[in-house]
Amino acid sequence: MFVFLVSGAICLGGALGVVLFRNTVHNALSLVATLFGVAVLFIAQEAYFLAAIQVIVYAGAIMVLFLFVIMLLGAERVLPEAQPRFRWLTPAAVILALVFLATTSVAIIKGEIDLTQPQLDEPMVRVVNALDGVAAVDVYLDETQVADQVAFGEASSFEDWDTGRYQARIFEAGADPESDPPLAEYPVNLVADVALSLTAIGTAQDPDLVTVTEDLGQINDKDELRVLAVNALQGRMAIDVVNDTDAGNRRVLAENVPYGTASEIIEIEKATYAIGVYPTGSSRTRLMGIEDEELDADTSVLWVFTEQRQADSSYRNAVINLETDVRPKFGSPEHVGQLLFSRYVLPFEMVSLLLLAAMIGAIVLTHDRRGPRRRLVRRLANVPASLEQPAPGQTGD
Amino acid sequence: MEASEVSIELYVLLSAILFIMGAMGVLLRRNAILIFMSVELMLNAANLALAAFARQWGNGDGHVMVFFVMTVAAAEVAVGLAIIISIFRQRPTTNVDDINLLKG
Repeated sequence: MFVFLVSGAICLGGALGVVLFRNTVHNALSLVATLFGVAVLFIAQEAYFLAAIQVIVYAGAIMVLFLFVIMLLGAERVLPEAQPRFRWLTPAAVILALVFLATTSVAIIKGEIDLTQPQLDEPMVRVVNALDGVAAVDVYLDETQVADQVAFGEASSFEDWDTGRYQARIFEAGADPESDPPLAEYPVNLVADVALSLTAIGTAQDPDLVTVTEDLGQINDKDELRVLAVNALQGRMAIDVVNDTDAGNRRVLAENVPYGTASEIIEIEKATYAIGVYPTGSSRTRLMGIEDEELDADTSVLWVFTEQRQADSSYRNAVINLETDVRPKFGSPEHVGQLLFSRYVLPFEMVSLLLLAAMIGAIVLTHDRRGPRRRLVRRLANVPASLEQPAPGQTGD
Repeated sequence: MEASEVSIELYVLLSAILFIMGAMGVLLRRNAILIFMSVELMLNAANLALAAFARQWGNGDGHVMVFFVMTVAAAEVAVGLAIIISIFRQRPTTNVDDINLLKG
């Protein structure tokens, strides 16, 4: 509240100065104060990128341009303000302003517009295939295809989806969803803001579907990331996921994860890790592991630990390692940039064209076409002087 | 954060007052440069409201809109000041009432 009051007062004072001061330079400096106040208010509203742009573009570039033109034209001289052409304009403007202010105030205060509900992001869905014995899978939510031809160990990319309840169905790739029976089906409930990984696990004879919910919200701590693990081992024992990076100081990341479930999401620091998977209760038999895994900050990592049956009936361990960037912080340059280069590419390009046109326009407008003519005028002015000079001398003789 | 205590109504009200001051500047002052500054003031008032609503709805679209408004303002200032300079060459005044060359 304190920040708002102080910067709001600076804004209003600056605005008053712009309207009331007689000296144009003072007006420009008041406008700088207002722009600065607005920049502070941007920061108070978590619009960090806009605050930076406000200071650089407005208070920096635009105001320098203004002051430059004021000085160039000598407009800073305080002249008696010319009488406005229309006498009735002043009272009319004041009355209009008061009416506008009263209307907006009533609308804002009495409007009772429901502004309390923040908008949530759409749910996102992807498909992860850890299903052994099937070459690839197609996955449908109700009648709509989420992903097709997802091979073992692969994942589709996240797709935005509408909220609601769906029946997720897994088919062998190329199957007809109308007639063929699905390998597995599972009801899913998509709510706003979640990122869901539909993970197909098990074998062709006994397939199963795990829905893994990831949290792609902003991570509060710097240099941290989220990890979670899914147990899809066909041995069906519960597993522990252990941080093996430092053999002397092993840290259990997820304990007692039963078959077909996902572990709790935990946040770890970014580093290079060695991760080991052990049967619960036995720290000696390392089932599988991930070595030298470099994990970046501000990501959400999903590990699916699974096995694939080989031709000689032995099992080969496989880890599906999926790294997703979390959503950028609201108002950060990443956030604005992501919007600018996804949803607003066309307006962005048009605005850049507009700037280019403005640049050329400014050059054309200020280009002095009278350049050569002025030289001519000077010469003509010199001619009578040179003609007149000898004249007095001649009369003197 | 401290700012979350401030309700959006206050931001919008401040934005409305700034906008009105800008409009008054445009209507009452006769100096062309000052009129441009008042237009900047009005654009800033709109930016403030856009940022406030973007915060309220947790939606980045308002920020992108503010970004575009700033770009357009920069273009407008470049062209507008160029026009003022080229008018000043014709007739050394920045008073908009004296600029009546198109008058029949």
